[in-house]
Amino acid sequence: MSRRLLVMDLGRRAYQDVLELQRALCRERLDGRRGEDLLLLVEHEPVVTLGRSTRASSLPLPPAALEARGIPVVEVERGGDVTYHAPGQLVGYPILHLSEHREDLHWYLRGLEGVLIDALHELGVAAGRVAGLTGVWTGGRKIASIGIHVKQWVTYHGFALNVTTDLSGFDVIVPCGIDGVVMTSVAAELGSPERPERPALWDAARDRVVRGFAQGFGFGGTEWLDEDALRGVARSGERG
Amino acid sequence: MTTKVVMEALSPTMEEGRLVEWKKGEGEPVAVGDVLAEVETDKAVMELVARTGGTLLKQVVPAGATVPVSELVALIGEPGESVDNGKPARAQEQGTQPAPGRNQPTSMPPAPEPSPRAASGSAGASGPAVKPTAGQAAPSTPAAAATPAGAAAGRIKASPLARRIAAERGIDLTAVSGSGPEGRVVLRDLEGAAAAETPAGGRSPAASAAPAAAPAAAAAPVAPRIVVPPSDGAPYTDVPLTQLRKTIARRLVQSIGPIPTFYLTTEVDMERAWDAREALKTLGDGPKVSFNDIILKAVASALRQHPACNAWWQDDRIRYWHEIHVSMAVAIEDGLITPVIRHTDRKSLREIAAEAQDLAARARSRRLTPEEYTGGTFSVSNLGMLDIDEFTAVINPPETGILAVGRIVDKPVAHDGQVALRRRMRLTMSCDHRVIDGATGAQFLKTLKAMLENPLVLVW
Repeated sequence: MSRRLLVMDLGRRAYQDVLELQRALCRERLDGRRGEDLLLLVEHEPVVTLGRSTRASSLPLPPAALEARGIPVVEVERGGDVTYHAPGQLVGYPILHLSEHREDLHWYLRGLEGVLIDALHELGVAAGRVAGLTGVWTGGRKIASIGIHVKQWVTYHGFALNVTTDLSGFDVIVPCGIDGVVMTSVAAELGSPERPERPALWDAARDRVVRGFAQGFGFGGTEWLDEDALRGVARSGERG
Repeated sequence: MTTKVVMEALSPTMEEGRLVEWKKGEGEPVAVGDVLAEVETDKAVMELVARTGGTLLKQVVPAGATVPVSELVALIGEPGESVDNGKPARAQEQGTQPAPGRNQPTSMPPAPEPSPRAASGSAGASGPAVKPTAGQAAPSTPAAAATPAGAAAGRIKASPLARRIAAERGIDLTAVSGSGPEGRVVLRDLEGAAAAETPAGGRSPAASAAPAAAPAAAAAPVAPRIVVPPSDGAPYTDVPLTQLRKTIARRLVQSIGPIPTFYLTTEVDMERAWDAREALKTLGDGPKVSFNDIILKAVASALRQHPACNAWWQDDRIRYWHEIHVSMAVAIEDGLITPVIRHTDRKSLREIAAEAQDLAARARSRRLTPEEYTGGTFSVSNLGMLDIDEFTAVINPPETGILAVGRIVDKPVAHDGQVALRRRMRLTMSCDHRVIDGATGAQFLKTLKAMLENPLVLVW
C-alpha cells in the first residue's frame, strides 16, 4: 500500500488562525470528510503558547506584559509546558490518523524526533534525544520542541524547529518549563548569524523535514497542495 | 450496572498519565464516544473517551492527579445509582485498551481479561494509587479541594491551566471572575487575584476546611531557595545562565551599571560575641581574637549554609564555589587590598586570627604575593574601628557579595520586654543582583546574624 502525504506550506500566518484550521481538519478527519494524512507547515508571528503542563514559573512575565509587547499568549490543548514561536521557526502540524499507523503515542513522539534529527544531520547539525525530555537537542541546547494533542487517535499540534529564529525572543519564557534550557537554531549552530527574510537555509530545512517525515512515517510519496486547496481548507476552517 | 473507567495505556510503554481536566461533571449524562477527560503523558495530550453510555456517577480522581495505567478514574452507571467510595457492588471494567480508533470494535462492555501490561505494569498498585503531581499540593489547596466534590452545580468554569496555576498559588477560583468563553476563568484572570487574596485565607470557604495547610503556606512567605549542585570533586561547579537569569542580568545592567548592586542591612546584638571575646582574652596565649576575626569565621560558616552567595559572575555562567575563601579588605597607605584567608570555614578562630594579623601586617608593608590577594569568593570590609556606624561596600568582581561591618555601639533596645542598653552592630551586604537575589541575600544575612548572636555555634 502506498499512501500519500499531503503537504501544505501556509507561509507566515497568525497562530490563532492556524489553530482553528488544525481543529477543523482534525474534526474532518475524524468524521470521514477527509481521508488522507496531512502535514501543515507554517511560520508564526511571535506568540507564546501555554500547554497543559505549564507551570507558573515558566512565564517570568505576566501575560498582560507580554501582550503589551505585542506577543499574544494563547492557552492550548497540546501537551507540554510553555513555548515560543517566531519567524524563522519551521512549525509542523501533522494531522495523522494513528490508527492507520500505530496506536502508540510514544512511537509517534519518538518518530517525530527521529524525523527532525535526520533532517538536522543532513543540514550539518549533530542532534539527538535527551532521555525523559521530549524534543531535539544538540550539545545540551534545545533546537526543536514537540507538543501534541490526540483526539481519538487523530493528531494535531506538532513540532517547532528553530531554523533562523531570533533566539533572544525566548528570553520571555522558560522554554518547556525546564529551567536552564539554552535554545539554539540551525543558523546559530552552523554559525550563520544573518537572518534574511526567507533564506535558502529555511527552504533546505523545510524540504528535508518533509522528505524525512514521508519516509519516517512510511508514506509512498508526497503531494504539495496548491493555493486552491489551501483556500478550500481555510474555508472549512472558518465554517468549523 | 456500573462501569469502571480506568487510566488507559496510550502506548505500550506508558506507565502513568496525568488527568489534566474533567470534561464531564458528576451527574452529567454520557454517550458512547463522549470525551470524559483529557490525559497527558510525556508531551502528548489525549482524550479519555466513554465506551459506554449512562451517567457519570463519580470522578474518582481529581483533575491534576497522576494515575498509573489501568487504575480506576471514574464510574459510569444509571442515574441515581449508589456508589460506595468508588467501589460499586457490581462493576464492569471499561477496558484497558486505548480508545477505539476506526479499526476497532466500539462496543466492548463485558470486562475483557486484564491485559498483561495491566498486571505487570502496576505491580502492587492495589491501594488508592492517586498521587498528586510533584509541586502541586493538590488536595490541600482550596482550588483543588473545591473541584472534585463540587459536582455539576458548583463546578467552576476554568481552563486547566488556570486551575493548575491557581492551585499552585493558592488562589480561590470562586473569587475570580472569568473573561474566557462562557465566563471561563483563564490565566490572565488570575493576575491580581493573588494579591487580592487575604493572607490568612479568611474569605475562602475552602481554606477553613484545610486549616493546617492553607494558612501556613500563606502566612510564611516562602522564600525560594537556589539549589546549588553538590561538588563532584571539583572545587566549584559552573552553572550556565538560564533564560531567566540572562534576562535579569541584562536588564539590571541596563538599569544601574555593570554590576547591578543592591544592599541589605541588619542589626546584630553583639553582647554574647563580646562575652566570648572577653573569655578568649583570658586564655592569654596565642593571637588576640578580634571582632573582625569572629565575623570572618561567622561569614564562612554562614556561606557553607548558603552556597548561593559564594559565587563568581562569569559572564555566561555562574561559578558556585564549593570552597570558601573569604577576602578581608585592608586599608593601606594609598589604597586598599584584599588578602584572602583560604578555606576560611575549615579554620579555627585562633588560626583565622593569626593568619589575618599576618596578612594585614604584610599588606601594609606591601609584601603580599598575588596569590595571597586573589581568588577570594566573598569579602568582608570593616570600618567599625574608624567609628563608622554603617556603610555600603563596593563589590570586588568576580565575587558577588561583600559585607560592610560598622562599629559596635551601646544602644537602648527592647530586650526581654524591657528597654536595655545593648552592644549593637550594623551589617550591610552588597549583592550582585545578577547572582544573588534579595531573598537569597536575606537568608544568608539571617543565618549570619543568628550565628553572631549565639557565637557558640561557631565552635560546633
